[in-house]
Amino acid sequence: MITRCKPLLGTFVEISVDQGARQTAIDYAFKAIEQIQGLMGFHNPSSELNYINRYAHHKAVDIHPWTAQVLHTAKEVNRYSRGLFNCGIGHRLVAAGLLPRHIDFTNHSLGGIEDICFLTPELITSSRPVCLDLGGIAKGFAVDMAVKILVSEGVSAGIVNAGGDLRVFGDTPTPIHIRNPKNPVELLKIGSIQNAALATSCLYFAKRDQQASHLINPLALEESEIHVDSTDSYSILAKECVYADALTKVLAISKQSNHPCFAKFSAQAIRIAL
Amino acid sequence: MIDWKPNPYAVAGLAMLTAPILAQAKIYISSEQAQQILFPNKAMSKSPIIISDDLQERMRTASSIRHPFQGDRIWRSADGGWLVIDEVVGKHEMITYAVALNARGSILGIEILEYVESYGYEVGDPQWRKQFVGKTVNDPIKLNQDIQNIGGATLSCKHLTDGVKRVTVLYDLALKSTPIKSK
Repeated sequence: MITRCKPLLGTFVEISVDQGARQTAIDYAFKAIEQIQGLMGFHNPSSELNYINRYAHHKAVDIHPWTAQVLHTAKEVNRYSRGLFNCGIGHRLVAAGLLPRHIDFTNHSLGGIEDICFLTPELITSSRPVCLDLGGIAKGFAVDMAVKILVSEGVSAGIVNAGGDLRVFGDTPTPIHIRNPKNPVELLKIGSIQNAALATSCLYFAKRDQQASHLINPLALEESEIHVDSTDSYSILAKECVYADALTKVLAISKQSNHPCFAKFSAQAIRIAL
Repeated sequence: MIDWKPNPYAVAGLAMLTAPILAQAKIYISSEQAQQILFPNKAMSKSPIIISDDLQERMRTASSIRHPFQGDRIWRSADGGWLVIDEVVGKHEMITYAVALNARGSILGIEILEYVESYGYEVGDPQWRKQFVGKTVNDPIKLNQDIQNIGGATLSCKHLTDGVKRVTVLYDLALKSTPIKSK
């Protein structure tokens, strides 16, 4: 295996492919992730995502087919999780200092992903102002897209790991470790996976770096319920990383390993409790 | 014969005691490979730069990185592009990375060469870091090679972003005005 690593999507993205694969295949996969970062990144004020946040409640916005795919998946998971997953919580992360403030939303009653309406497959509008943050779900999507590109470039086996959102493809089972939430230095071998994705959500790095919890409960009624606090580690095993990432939020907020939404997406929950 | 079954708690305790402070060390590519990836099929010549105290101080102010910059890992391509290898040393990690700049100072690409994670204080200690100097993927030290795929909370790359900033500052303050050597 050859592994390369680049800083993208705010984290470290590793791509491993079998020895015989061409270097250009990895370059194309990284290029796609870079493009997704340019489209759906919150940090970049001129991303398509920030354009949506600024204008979708005023007018119809023409979007890239990849952004459309992510928003479509986000709506789907929102529906089946009965609102536990909602990427319309960007303003909460801005308020907590976890994301930059590009738009002033004060005096606005903000909606969520449920307010996004598709007029055509790539034309959207919003019934209320929204502050979407696609951080996690776009990362999962980027991993899937990178895998798709590697496969189409003829790579027979490999791994894409975007800071814990990982997907394995090819004929060989690959051993996977998850960090022990009690002591993140320690790695727990959870077994091997093959042609599957695993995403993990946990707060140990946030706590270490003295940051507010990035796990936001979109259904919170009280101020104190907004930031979910937990010492557990929440992982989801699924076919595609975009679902795996989105569903970690459902697991972390509901704390139910058998939430009906997991079966709907053929996903399995792994909760490491202390 | 005594049927001895280790007490799992005792074993876990032992593992904790003997576990190295070094949690993860990954060597992705060598500096030669970084050159080939970032400047494919281009001849590079080594162009070290002497970092004056003044320059060091200005880079520090602009990038908020305190760890001094070493000017000995800089290469130049025939068309004026630059390859700079640097490292960032955080509280919990040390990252060696390469930044490729074109002749006008725009970033062409970034590659991580090595990532070493630790929760001790040793990362800041140059003596401790020395053990990784010159190691390669195939080195007998076998830096946790069986543990390649780690799931977990997202690790931020903020420190590295500061590092890249310091390389762009280096370009503005020093590299930009360096004339191409004529042969």
